[in-house]
Amino acid sequence: MNKLPSFFLFILIWYLFSFFQIIPPPHTVAITFATLFIHGDPVLGRTILEHSISSLLRVLAGAGIAFLISIPLGISMWYPRVYSLFHPALEILRPIPPLAWIPLSYIFFASFPRPTLFAQIFIVFIGSFFPSFVAISDYARNTPYEYVELAKVFGADKMKILRHIVIPYSLPGIITGVRVGLGVGWMSIIAAEMIATSGLGLGYFIMVMYEVGGRVPEIISGMAMIGLIGYAMNAILLKVEERFPWCLQSEM
Amino acid sequence: MSNMARKMARRFSIPVTKVAIPVIIPVIPVVITLTLLLSGCTTSSVNVVKLSPPDMLEQIKLGKIDAFVAWEPFPSKAVKEGSRIFMKSSDIWPNHPCCVVAYRSGQLNDDVLEALVWAHVKATRFINDAKNKEKIVDYASDFTGLDRETVEIALQNIKYVEYPDEKEFRHYYEFLKESGILKKSVTDIGYGSEDDFFNDFLRKDIYSKVIRKLEENPDYVPEKVGSIRLGFITADLHHLALYVAIKEGYLNKVFEKVETKQFPNGVAIMEAFRLGELDAAYLGGAPATLKRINDDIEIRIVSGVNNEGSAIVVRGDINSPKDLAGKTVAIPGFGTVQDFLMRKVLSEGGLKEK
Repeated sequence: MNKLPSFFLFILIWYLFSFFQIIPPPHTVAITFATLFIHGDPVLGRTILEHSISSLLRVLAGAGIAFLISIPLGISMWYPRVYSLFHPALEILRPIPPLAWIPLSYIFFASFPRPTLFAQIFIVFIGSFFPSFVAISDYARNTPYEYVELAKVFGADKMKILRHIVIPYSLPGIITGVRVGLGVGWMSIIAAEMIATSGLGLGYFIMVMYEVGGRVPEIISGMAMIGLIGYAMNAILLKVEERFPWCLQSEM
Repeated sequence: MSNMARKMARRFSIPVTKVAIPVIIPVIPVVITLTLLLSGCTTSSVNVVKLSPPDMLEQIKLGKIDAFVAWEPFPSKAVKEGSRIFMKSSDIWPNHPCCVVAYRSGQLNDDVLEALVWAHVKATRFINDAKNKEKIVDYASDFTGLDRETVEIALQNIKYVEYPDEKEFRHYYEFLKESGILKKSVTDIGYGSEDDFFNDFLRKDIYSKVIRKLEENPDYVPEKVGSIRLGFITADLHHLALYVAIKEGYLNKVFEKVETKQFPNGVAIMEAFRLGELDAAYLGGAPATLKRINDDIEIRIVSGVNNEGSAIVVRGDINSPKDLAGKTVAIPGFGTVQDFLMRKVLSEGGLKEK
């Protein structure tokens, strides 16, 4: 798909808004972005890359822990007993937005060595866990009945069915879950960094720039970085998704 | 074997490696990330973090930070909870400016400003009158929600003033310029020079007029004017004069209606000014100056509120600036007077911010 027309349309609309002095023009933001990338800002003394890496590491930690739990738990939802045990409780917790967990997380982790850091990782965990869990459990629970029956005819026990049918069938759900979970986790960390101080991170950077004032290009640069990283994460995982020959239905 | 069954059998042979990859993907970064994130700061630097003063109190109690700089009553409250005042702001930067009374340019006429400044001056004089000490401690306790003992200690650290020290205000402005915190210059916002800017920003004529009239007639009361929307920071002991002006009836003497609005910090007050939600406010000189220049929010200062009144609080064995090496210290915001105070102390100890 040719993305250039969409890109140019976006830049054109941006210039239109900047003409009315609502926001600075794209070229001003581009210069600021480059300066922040190379030299950093004088207030915090860090480059935008350092802030990005810090946020990204928190997301990877929180989302990684979330996936370590959501993958096995999601697959195990194939068992009706596990499903009936966990599903109602998880359905109550699922609609609670990650940001609503912020105050409680600071209380939870107050006695930890770095409470802010742990609280932020926890917020990402919450943001990543539920989307990935839902995607994986949906795939696991929708494993075609005829495959399971056929496997039983070949003498497969429950463990074999799980290993050879349910898990392979859930693979697209795992990748989709990881992709969506990382996206939500990424959005959650920015909000968590804006609320509580962490010394580094894109959310923190944007908030400090706003507080000291006069730094709209810096704020937009931070937002652009958030968008770029989110886009890159999604694109990489979409590529991974494409490389796996798992569309069982199309093979049949 | 049917075609479908063959495909099923082929499918059965896939899983182990294919399943392992997506499962391993999240494991590796967790380990690396936690290791990186949990590494602390080096002993040659000081880890400076931004926290709200109530959070500073909690975090120093839990040992998560080693020191903080904040305005009263937070240092005195921390002392009550087991921490120690390491340096008062008056020792670091004597007579430094702090809070001010500002109004939105073009929003109030001179009669309204005269009424406001008169009420503020009367309240400040009431606070500074030794014979009102007991009453002031009561007011301060009510205003902040703290016990009498704590506010009594805190009040000793605050110098309530009627007008800010212009020389020190300029000193603070130089710090903002040198540290790169000011993004714009005064010429960018339409002033010919820094002198022009300060002559306009620190508006003294109303204060001088009120003082002159009070000198001529101590019972002078300006003519009653309409309504005013006044902002202030919740439980900030520096803003006690506003509470006294309400309690002692000074504001009611000169205004038909007074509407007060509370804010969590000076940045929020400046945003309210920008949106036209306030006519005047008690706020820190730091956000007032920063947002006036950087964001061109048109306000002017008509009175001082206090000078000094902040302190560096520490826990453990911190007895000199050098002892802060490798420690975590908290400031309430970048570009604030407290940030400047902390930077002065760190530079005295030959330390760098991380």
